[in-house]
Parts: sequence; structure tokens; C-alpha cells
Amino acid sequence: MIRCKLLLLFLFLICTHAFAQSLGSLHGSISDQNGKPLSGATILLEPDRHLTQTDKQGKFLFKDLYKGSYQVKVTMVGFKTFTGKAVIDEGKAAALAIILETGESELEEVEVSGSFEAADNLLKSKRSAMPVTIITRRTIELMGSRRLDEVLKEQTGIAIVNNIGGGARAVGVQIQGFGSEYVMVLIDGQPMTGRNSGNFDLSRISVSNIERIEIIKGASSCLFGSEALGGAINIITRHGAIQQQALASINYGSLNIADATLEAETPFAAQRGSVNLSANYYRSDGFNTNPKYIQSGTTSPPYDNYALQGRSRYRLSKTSTVGLSGRYALRQSFMPKDFGLGNISGDRQDETDLNLSATFDHNFESGLRSMSRYYLTTYSSDMSVAWQGSGSQVSNEVFTQTLHRFEQQFAYAFSNGIKVTSGLGGSLENMNDDALTDAGTLSNAFGYLQGDWGITKKLEAVGGLRYDHTNNYGGKLNPSFGLQYHIRPNLTLKAGAGTGFKTPDFKTRYLVFYNPTANYLVVGNDVLRETLDQLQQQGQISEIRQYLLNQLDQNLQAERSTSLNAGFVWKPRQTVKIEGGVFYHDLRNQINSIQIATGTNNRVIYTYQNLPKAVNKGIDASVVINPLKDLEISGGYQYLIAKDRSVEDSIRKGNWPYGQNIHDPATGNSYAPKPSDYWGIENRSRHMINLRAFYVYRPWDISINARVNYRGKYPFGDRNGNNFIDRYDTFVDGYFLINAAVEKKLMNQHLSIRLTADNLADYIDPLMPGQPGRILLAGLTYRFYKD
Amino acid sequence: MKIKSLHLLLKRQSAIVLLLLFPILVISCKKDEIDPYSTLEDGKSTVIKDLAGDTQASMGGNTPGKENRPFYIFLFRFRDQKQIWIRNAADSAQWLKTKDWDLAFTGPYNSEVFVNNKNYSFNPGYQGEAEGMVLMLEQAYNTVNQAPSDADFNASEANKIGWASSVSSNGWFFYSLNTHIMQAIPDRTYAIRLPDGKYAKLQLVNAYKGNPPAVTDLNWPAPYFTFRYFVQQDGSKNLNTAN
Repeated sequence: MIRCKLLLLFLFLICTHAFAQSLGSLHGSISDQNGKPLSGATILLEPDRHLTQTDKQGKFLFKDLYKGSYQVKVTMVGFKTFTGKAVIDEGKAAALAIILETGESELEEVEVSGSFEAADNLLKSKRSAMPVTIITRRTIELMGSRRLDEVLKEQTGIAIVNNIGGGARAVGVQIQGFGSEYVMVLIDGQPMTGRNSGNFDLSRISVSNIERIEIIKGASSCLFGSEALGGAINIITRHGAIQQQALASINYGSLNIADATLEAETPFAAQRGSVNLSANYYRSDGFNTNPKYIQSGTTSPPYDNYALQGRSRYRLSKTSTVGLSGRYALRQSFMPKDFGLGNISGDRQDETDLNLSATFDHNFESGLRSMSRYYLTTYSSDMSVAWQGSGSQVSNEVFTQTLHRFEQQFAYAFSNGIKVTSGLGGSLENMNDDALTDAGTLSNAFGYLQGDWGITKKLEAVGGLRYDHTNNYGGKLNPSFGLQYHIRPNLTLKAGAGTGFKTPDFKTRYLVFYNPTANYLVVGNDVLRETLDQLQQQGQISEIRQYLLNQLDQNLQAERSTSLNAGFVWKPRQTVKIEGGVFYHDLRNQINSIQIATGTNNRVIYTYQNLPKAVNKGIDASVVINPLKDLEISGGYQYLIAKDRSVEDSIRKGNWPYGQNIHDPATGNSYAPKPSDYWGIENRSRHMINLRAFYVYRPWDISINARVNYRGKYPFGDRNGNNFIDRYDTFVDGYFLINAAVEKKLMNQHLSIRLTADNLADYIDPLMPGQPGRILLAGLTYRFYKD
Repeated sequence: MKIKSLHLLLKRQSAIVLLLLFPILVISCKKDEIDPYSTLEDGKSTVIKDLAGDTQASMGGNTPGKENRPFYIFLFRFRDQKQIWIRNAADSAQWLKTKDWDLAFTGPYNSEVFVNNKNYSFNPGYQGEAEGMVLMLEQAYNTVNQAPSDADFNASEANKIGWASSVSSNGWFFYSLNTHIMQAIPDRTYAIRLPDGKYAKLQLVNAYKGNPPAVTDLNWPAPYFTFRYFVQQDGSKNLNTAN
């Protein structure tokens, strides 16, 4: 913020002679601090997303602009990004003279308080008061990543984790110790559905056509409601067009990975409208990380993925814009495995994903902005596992999930520096799954108010309050509040707090699931009493824990969380930026299984209960250094302690099976467990580090980067049967993943050639079924546009 | 001016070299995998690898391709490592009430193990001829050097050895409701007094194909039993299997 204000000093806004009848224009020049004109700087006008570049004299021109206030953003590699405002009047030509300061290049990707404005969403991520990480399109391009999970697993504090109990396809993202079930995934600010045992598989999403990714670390229900209990990932797709252009791209390499993209964008109706279209095909053979036991087949699924995406905006009048966007994705996968029996287990999944949205954006005379948003998504999955030889089916799950959502947003900026956004809305969600007993519709109504305020030049505040009402779980209020204090121009202190909640999902409420392997039954809470009554009538029950039944029947509470963070941003020099902070997340009413009854034939019958709490706490730090104009080196570190408090309680009380003696296999000695023997929650690493270097050699138009990601040792699972992780359990060793990419631009930047290498050291571990070995890819991208 | 640009060039080149070396600077190693059976062999014990249980049965509703019926019981004889299937009434009549077997693998996925005993109901050998006794010891197999006293055997009420679902259970495995995977409990050894008075020890090691150190797939083939045992032929209580 300070940076922008300083630069505003260099902004001169001069109105000159009349230019056109009802439309205005904006022209200007861009130079460096020595007054030398800069050619090739990119100028972006929001909210219409007009885009142009300066010519050889450093000049630019936007014609046919509607009257109004525009946000101007100027970017150029090697210079600090400039943001400012321009007011366009009817029939007048406005002029800007902008001087760019040398500084951080455009590769800078971690903006702590995301100051971007989305075209169709007035909600701002930074008002969650949680740390926000932004990954730009350019960074994704340079990394050479294809799928969303690949981009995210290289970010500090984020891991992609296999959930063995959910089957071979259950893969999810973990953020600051929160599992995938607590992380909301959104596309252009609208929630995506379709989870597998709570896991959202991010490899479903191609990164082509993504403009940027916002990652909110911590409780952010004040922005997004239920599910954003531990964080949110918001994918912002590409939109807007100033000139016709198109792109064709192909990558091919190891594992027969093919990634092909076609994109086109064009303005229409004299720049009043724009259309962006994108199609992507991706395939992979999958990979086997356990060839010793799985003699053929794969542990990470092979698949074919087809995706179509489109986005269009049209300016109806000076003050109103309509937007439409749609996405359709289809993925087919067949994952065979031969465990040395000759009989192959085949795991099949077909999934389709449809997201449609319509927006209406209106600016009132008074300065009030209104955004009306309607969204529809359906996700369906057909998944089964069968033994090919005998034709015997192991499991089969088919479901369709549908969500309708409407939201009305308002934004207003007061003259005293307070900016607010408020909104009202509602959603209806259905789950169509044969395995669920009488699953109803989940309806939700919500309202919120959020804002930011520059109290003084040194002190800024952000905050929000959101109320959600769901038909089964009543009302939930979620506040957020954050402060930023600029002690010195180069040192800022920050602190924030927020809350989150998650209503129990359809599975914990309606699913009645029998596992023949272990002869147990799990009954969802909403159908608990009726199911037990039915079983009793059939003479299948030997004992019911009546007191628990009375307590738990239709009484599962929503899970709640509170997140706190505090940190600093320090720029000791122009070229160095250091950030550090602490975080503390507290999770209450966590849902877990508990035995409710015993059936005849010794069958154990379970349902779900709320447990006291879990805690994720730790330290987060990052450094960005630009030792040379075109070289950026950055690093990140996270230290994390993630513990389930109920485990510690159970150890203390000596509850079965927690209280059993722990045997030391080395000495043969055994001792009674203490709470300090508890290592922490499965799949959480204490240490995570990433280091990366990006370099551009301009004379040759070559970009090179290398990234190293370290994930410290983490528990895989309980080995000795006491139901918690102690140091004698199964751990996954700490490991390094090394990735690198080179890109060369040719033919006046129309063509780029890429070489991408992931996991250069070819590190694999059977305990990480989803992490393939070395992948080498070569790629070509051609951009069609007028020079 | 020239010196400055040369200096810059050098800086650039060192940056490129640094960048290229960057990945090589980090050394990563893969650990050598240990053969899961080698730790079981001690030269004296008998190690049974991947003994297939009833893989054709289904406990659940209509599972295509599997028969919806209880799992067939199979019996096991220490003497000659013979596996005996009980598929029908004739098999039952021929085998169950005899002394010709030592262990019975019953129940879901043949995971519930009995030692042949005529006195306990639910024991496949109930009302038969054998009176084998079993005691659970919370001790690693290789540290069990001596059979417990006859008084201890006589007092034992251990019958079914299956899922260890409570404090009092003698079970040999845990089942995780989170991962849906069964896992043998380390440091549990079963001391056995066979009907002929000989002493033995038994460790049930794994129910998954190949005896993997960790099961990484929900649908890993089961039941394929890995277990080891030692029968002291001289009639003494010496169960030491160390070399």
C-alpha cells in the first residue's frame, strides 16, 4: 500500500482537448527514473480489463473508454508494479505520465495482502485477516506445471496427501495442518463440489487458463461460509480481451504425459464485450511407487481428462456489465494393479464436473457498486473396484452432487477511507447417492459485511462478519479482524483473527455402510435410531449403548475453528523482503467415529460423535532476494505441530486402546504411555522447506528456474495398535523433490520452447502412492497475435 | 563502462552456474528395502508365507462374482504344514472333532484363529478329542524362551484370537476405522500346549499378500496369512529359537 502511495507522487493527470463524442480516451507515456522511455511495459485498465503495451517511444493509448473511474496497473520486468487511478470523462482525452521505479520483477508471486480486484466478485481475500498467498499465471508458466496439485505442493506449508482409507484415489490438499476436508476450493469465488472421503483431488483441474490462484491459510468462513474452516483455494480464470489473440500449446514426455491446450480470446462490439475460450486435453499413464509388491499397474492413477472453459463479459451500458462463464470437465481413469496373483484389481472412475455462472455488475450514480451472482454446479462420480479375473466387485460408489447458489453483493467506498462489501445470498445442495438413506436437501442462507479501513497513514484495519443459517444446524456467526501497522516504511507488523465452521457432510449424516472385511457397520447420525430399531426388529442387535444413543441421535454438531496469526514484513533493502509469523489454529467439535452398539455375530456398530479439539500451531517464514535485476531467489519454511487433544486426554485416562503399554522393539522393554509420547496427527510434517531460483537472461530470451522442496518426516499410520502415533509407528522419511524448467522465446516472443523436469532425483517411496518418479517433458507454445 | 559490464557478465554467469548446480547440491537417497521375511527366519521356527484363505467369499450383500456365504474355515496342522478346508458337512465330520489339526482359521477373512480345544463352545473342535491350550504373551516372539507353567495353561480361558477390540481381548490384530486396514499387533506371541503335551509358540504376522511392511492400498489382497511357529519336540518347555 505504501509503495503505491509513494508512486502516486509521480502521477500527473492532465485533461486536454475534446477527443470523441460520448467516449473518452486515455493516453500517456512510461519512463524509468532517469526519464528514459520504457517500451514493452504492460498497462492494464480495470474493471474492463483493457490491456495494451507501450511502443518504442514508451507511449500508449486506450480509445473508446466509457466515462468512469479506472484502476491502472503498469507492470514491467525489473520494475516495481505501478497501480493508480484514472478518471475518464465523456469526450475527453486523459493523459498519464508514469515513472516506474526499478525494483522487484514481475516474478514476485507472494503478495501478502492481495490487492487484486476480481471482475465478478466484490469479496476480497485479504479481509479474511489470514495470510494470503498469490500465485500468478506467469509463475505457473515458468514452473511448467500442468495440474493444480503440482503447483500447490511447491508452496510453503502446503502438502498433497494420499488418504489410504479413502481408497487409491483419495488425494487431498493439506494447508498449515488442516486436512482437505477443511479446505474449500473455489473457482472465481464460487465453491466447487465433489469430494472423495472429504478429499478434493486438485489434479482434476488444469492450470491452463488460470489467471492466478489465491490461497488463504486459516479459518475463512467469514468470507465463504461452511467448509472454509481451515482455509480456501480460490482459482481465478482468465477473462477480458483487448485484441484478438490465440494460443496453442503442447507438452509431452515421461509417463506418456500429454498436455494440449488451445485458447482464444477476442473483444467484440467495439471493445464492449470480450470472450475467452479454452480447451485442454491431458493424459498420463500413472505411476507405480511400489513395484516390489504391485508387479504391474500403478499407484497413482492413469487418466484422460478433457476440459472446456469459456468466459464472456459484455458492457450493456456505461454502468452495467453482464458476465457469463462455464466450465465442463470429464475425466476417465482405469487403474489396474497386479499384486502378484495374476488376478488384476481394476479401479475405475468416471467423473464429470460442470460449473456455470452468471453475473450482473452495476455501478450506481452514488458510487455504490452492485454485483448479482448466480451459480450452478454439478459433479458426478462413478467409481468401482473389481477383480478382473473373477469379475468380483470390491466396491462401487456412484453419486451426483448439485449446488445452486445466488448472491447479491454491494461495495461502497466512503470518503474517510473505509471500503465495505456486503452481501446476501442462499444456496441449495443435493446429494444423489444410492448409499445414502433419505438424504435431504441442505439449504443455506447467509449475509455478510466486510471492509478495510486506512485509519491513519500507518495503521490499517480489515474485518468482516458473516452469518450463515443452515436448515439442520441453525445459525453460525463468523467474524474476522486484522490489523497492519507500518512502523517504518520498510517494516510492517500484522495480526489477524478469524473463525470457521463446517456442517457435517452427507456421509456422516445419512450413510449406512457395512464393511464385510472387518464385520462392522457405520450408521450416519440422522438415521441412527431408525436403523438401529430396524436391526433390532430383525434380531441383529445384542447390545445398544442407550445413553450414547440418546446423546448422539440426530445431534451431531458443526465443527468449529478459530485461527490466529501474527507476523511482520521487513524490507531491509530494496532487493530483500523477509516475512515471518506465527499461526495458531484451534479446531473444536471434530467429527470422529464411536461405537454405539454391538450386533449379533460380534458385529461392531459405529456412528459419529464430536470430539473436544485439535490444534495446529507453528511458524511460517519466507525470504525473497533479487541479487540481480533478472534473478530472484526465494525460500519458505514452515514448522508445524498438529495434535488432537482428545488423544492426549485418552492417554491420560488410559482409555482402550490408548492406554496400552508401548513396546520398544529395539530393547523389548515396554512402558505405560504418557501424553508426551503422542507425536501428532498422521501426514503432518514438522518441517517443510522450499527454495527456488528464477533467472531471465534477456539477450537470449531465456528463463531458467530450479526449485527444491523438502518435506520432513511424517507419520504414515499407527503400527502398534494403540490408535495414536508414537515414535515406534510407521513414518514416511523426509525427502527432497527437485524440479527445474527452462524456457526460450523465439520469433519475436510468439513461440516458446520449454523443457520441464519434475523430481529430478527420481525419489520414490511406496508410502507415497501419489508421488511419481522423475518426469521430463518438452513443450511448445505458439501465440497468435498482431505485432 | 567496459569493466562494469564485464563485472555484470561475470555475476550473471555465476548466477547461471549456481542455478544449474542448485539441484545437484541436494543429495537424496532411497533407503534399501528389507525383505519382510528375512526378519522372521531364525533357523528353527517354521515360517508360513502367504497361505491363502478363502478369497472367494463375500460377507456383504450381493457382491458380483463372489459367493454370498460365510467364509470357509480352514485348519492347519503344525506337523506337516497341512492346510485342510472345511467346505461341507462331510469335511466337518471328517476333521473337526479329531486331533488331526492344531489351528483353525475362521470368521470374516479367516481372521479369527482357534487352537483345537474340545471344551470351549464356538471352538471348531468343540466336543471333539483335542485339548490344546493357548496363552497370549505380551512379548516379542524371539524373546519367548520358556513356555508358561501348566497351571497358567490350565487357567487360560483364551479361545478365539481375532480383532483386539477391548482390554481383555486376546486378539492378534487391530483394525483401523480410519484406514480400514488390519494390522498385526507387534510383540504378541501365543504360547500353546498341544494335545500331545508338547509346547509351542506362535506369531501371527500378517493377513495381506506378500507380508508388506505397510499396506498402502485399501484393496490389498487378503487373506494371505504369514505366520511363524516353533514346536519343541523334546517335550520340554524350552522355546528358545535364537541361533
